[in-house]
Amino acid sequence: MKLPRFSRKTLCIPYAVFLVFFVIIPMLVIFFYAFTDSNMHISFANFIKFFSDPTKLSTIVYSLVIALITTVVCLVIAYPVAYILARSSMKRKFVILMLFVLPMWINFVLRVNALRELFNLLASLKGLEWIAGSNYFKTVFGMVYDFLPFMILPLYTTMLKIDPSLYEASADLGASGFTTFTRVTIPLSMPGIMSGVTMVFLPSMTNYVVSDMLGNAKVTIIGKFISDYFGNDWHMGSMIALVLLVVVFVSTWLTGGFKSEENVRGANL
Amino acid sequence: MKMKRALSIALASAFLLPALTALGGCGSADTIVLRVYNWEEYIDEGGKGTFIYDELHELNDEGNPVTDGNGNHVHIQSDIVNDKYKAWYEETMGQALSEEGPAILDDFCLWYEKTYGQPIRVEYSTFGTNEDMYNEIVLGNEYDLLCPSDYMIMKLAAEGRLEKYDDSFFDESIPENYYVRHVSPFIADKFKNNAELAIRKDEAGKEIYWKDYAAGYMWGTTGFVYNPEYVTEEELGRLGWLAFTNKDYEGKITAKDNVRDTYFAALGVTYQEEARNQESSLAGLKARFEADELDAVAYTEALTRIFNATDDETIALVEPYLMDIKQNIYSFETDTGKADMVAGKIWLNYAWSGDAVYALDLAESGQDEDGEASATAYLNYFVPETGTNLWFDGWVMPKGVTERGTKKAAEAFVNFLSMPQNAMRNSYYIGYTSAIAGENREMLAYADYLYGYYPEEEYEEGEEYEAPVDYDLTYFFYGEDYGDVEHILLPAEPEQAASRQLYAQFPPEEVIARCAVMDYYDKEASERINELWSRVKSETLDAWAIIVIVVTVLAIAAFIAYVKFGGKVDFFRAKPKKGYRLVKQEDPNRI
Repeated sequence: MKLPRFSRKTLCIPYAVFLVFFVIIPMLVIFFYAFTDSNMHISFANFIKFFSDPTKLSTIVYSLVIALITTVVCLVIAYPVAYILARSSMKRKFVILMLFVLPMWINFVLRVNALRELFNLLASLKGLEWIAGSNYFKTVFGMVYDFLPFMILPLYTTMLKIDPSLYEASADLGASGFTTFTRVTIPLSMPGIMSGVTMVFLPSMTNYVVSDMLGNAKVTIIGKFISDYFGNDWHMGSMIALVLLVVVFVSTWLTGGFKSEENVRGANL
Repeated sequence: MKMKRALSIALASAFLLPALTALGGCGSADTIVLRVYNWEEYIDEGGKGTFIYDELHELNDEGNPVTDGNGNHVHIQSDIVNDKYKAWYEETMGQALSEEGPAILDDFCLWYEKTYGQPIRVEYSTFGTNEDMYNEIVLGNEYDLLCPSDYMIMKLAAEGRLEKYDDSFFDESIPENYYVRHVSPFIADKFKNNAELAIRKDEAGKEIYWKDYAAGYMWGTTGFVYNPEYVTEEELGRLGWLAFTNKDYEGKITAKDNVRDTYFAALGVTYQEEARNQESSLAGLKARFEADELDAVAYTEALTRIFNATDDETIALVEPYLMDIKQNIYSFETDTGKADMVAGKIWLNYAWSGDAVYALDLAESGQDEDGEASATAYLNYFVPETGTNLWFDGWVMPKGVTERGTKKAAEAFVNFLSMPQNAMRNSYYIGYTSAIAGENREMLAYADYLYGYYPEEEYEEGEEYEAPVDYDLTYFFYGEDYGDVEHILLPAEPEQAASRQLYAQFPPEEVIARCAVMDYYDKEASERINELWSRVKSETLDAWAIIVIVVTVLAIAAFIAYVKFGGKVDFFRAKPKKGYRLVKQEDPNRI
C-alpha cells in the first residue's frame, strides 16, 4: 500500500475523528435513548410524559428564569465596565480587566465553595440571617459571580474595535452623548452583547454545581434534573437532555451564533 | 479517492487505539490483575490517619505527629500494634511493618504472592453511588469485585449479574478462609435469612440468598447526629422521625440528597403516628412488640414492609410529608452535613452511622474540616426509637470472574480484608463498623481499646469519676438467637454507651431489633419513586403560570426573530423626520 500523500486536509482527520466519536455518536445515542423505552422498543412515551408533566416543564421554566436573571444582571454589571475600560485612556486598564478575568483561572468549584463559606459568614451576622434560607438569591449570585468574565470579555473586545472616529462624527453631526451611546455604541457592540449573552445564558441553565452548593440542593435546575434521571432512567434523562438541546439551539439561532465569522467581529471567544 | 484515504487512516487509528491501551495495561504474563470497584474512601489507603500510623506516633491535639528536638517523630508503644502484631505482620506479608502506615492494597499484593506464589496487581477504582456503579456494570465494564449496598446486591443478583461464592469459600477447615472464620455470626445470620426481606427470585426462578453472592464488609444504621446544646435526647425520643417536620428545628436539620434515604425517612415521618390504622403505625408496632404481642421476627418483617412500601397509595400518603420535610430542612446534602454540624450551623444531621462517628470525632478534636476551631465540643448520635434503617455493604463478584480466572483471587481479597487485624485498620480508617467479629473476639478488644472506660486511677485530678456501664454486645459475637450463653459485656463510659461513637459503631441489640433493611425497587416502583423525587426536588408551577411564561418566552423569541430576519423593523434607528425617507439598510455581506 502506498502511503497516503500528506495534504492540508490530512490535518483535519484528528478533528474529524474527534467530532465523530465525541459529538456525533453521543448525540445519536442520546437521541436513541430518548425515543426508546426500557425494553429498547421505539416509544414516544417519554416525549409525551415530558410535555404533560408540570414538574418537568416547571423546572425548564425555572431554569430559564434563573438563566435570564443571571444574564441580565451580568449584562448590567459588565456593560459599563467594558465601556469605561474600552474608552478610557487609563494607563493601567489592563490591570483592571485582569482583575475581572483572573478568577477564571481558578477552578470554579473552588470559587463556589469559597462563596458558600462567605455566605455562611454573612449569615452569622446580625440582620443578615435571611441569607441562610434565600437559596434562589444565593444561586443567582453564584451564577453571576461565575459567569461575569464571560460577559465582560466579549463586550470589551467589541467595544475596543469601534472606530473612535465614529464617535467624533456623531459629535460633529450634533448628537448628544446619550444619542451617540444609543445610536453608535449599542448597535456596534451588539455582536459582543449577543456573544456574551450566549456564553452566560446557556451554561447558567445547566450549571447545577452552583445551585447544589449555594442553593443547598433545594434549587433544582434542568442540569441537575438530567443528572438525577441518569442515575435510574436513562431514557427520560436523554429526553430532557434532548429538549434542552433544542432550547439551546433555538436560543443560539436567535442570538445569531450561527452567523458567519466576520459579522461577529471576533467577539466569540 | 482522497475521501477513501482519509477514511482508511481514520479506521486504522481507531483499530490501533485499543491495542495501544492494552499494551499499557499489561504487566508480566503470569501476573493476575484483580479489578476492584469500591466506594470512595472505603479502604485503608495508608499514611497519616491510618490505624498503624496513629498507633505508633505520638500525636498532638491537631492529630499531627509530635517531633523531638531533632525533628524526628516521637514513637510510642501501642497496646494493639505491639511487638506481637509486628511479628505477625512480618510473617504474613513477608516484610517488616512500616511505621508510616502501609496501604492495605499493597499488603494484599505481598500477602497473595507469599501465600499463593503468584504475583498479583490490583486495579482499584471507586464510585460515588450504588446507581453509578450499577450503570457501569450494565454498560459492560468488567470488574472482579464490587462493594454495593444491600438493595443493590439484591438487584444485581436478581438480574443474574453476579457469580456465587465457591463452596470452598465457606469451608472453615481451610486456614486461608478468614472470612468464614471471622465474620460476625450476627452478619452471617442476616445474610442467611436475607434480613427478613421477602425472598426474591432470580431470572431462572431460583431463590436468592445474600450469603451465596455476598460477603459482608461494613454495616451500620442511619440516625441523627445532634447537637446537645440545642436538642435534647428526650425531645428526640418524643419526636422520633417527626424531628424532620418539627417547626422548632426549621432550617436547622438536613436530609440526604438521594431518593432512597430521604424516602425512607419520609416513610418514617408518615407512619410514626398517623397511619391507616393504629395497629400498623410505627408507634403501634413498637408498643405491641414491647408488650410481647409481636415476636422479634414478626416485628422486623412488619417494619421491613412499611419501610419498603412503594405502591401508589403509599406514595400519595408520603408525598405531602416529603414536601413538609423539604420546607423544614436546611439542605439536602450528602457530604456537607458533617462540616455544617461541627460548625454549629445546623443542629441535626440525618446521617449514616460511620459518617456520624466521623462528625463526632471531628467535633471532639476541637476543629472543623479546615482546621478552624469548631463551634461545638460534643455531638451525639440518636437512632429513632420507632425503627430505622439497617444497612450492609458487601463484596460481590460480577459474572465473568470464572472465565477470566480471577475468582480465586477475588475470594482471597475478601479473605484478606477479613483478617481481624485488617478489619480493624479499615474500620478505623473509614469510621464504619466491620462485619468481622474475630474468631477470638478481636473486634471486642478493638472496641474496648477505642471506646472502653478509663479505670478510676487514670482519671485526672478534678475530673468526676463515672462508673462504667456494661454494654451488651452478645448478639454481635453469637448472632441474634444466642440463647443461653454468657453475655459479652464491654465496660464503657455511660456517655459512650448512650449516645456516642460506641453507640453509633456498635448499636445495642434493642436498636437492631427495630431496624429494617432496604429492598430494591422493581422497574415500575423505581419509576414511581423517581417521579416523586423530581416533584419533591423542583418547584411545580400551576398550569396557567407555565402557559403564561411559555407564551411570553415564545413571543419574545418571535419578536427577536422578526427584528433580525424580518428586515422591516430597524430597531435602533429612529423614525425618519418629516420630508425624509428611510433607505433600506444594505446587507453588509453583499458588498
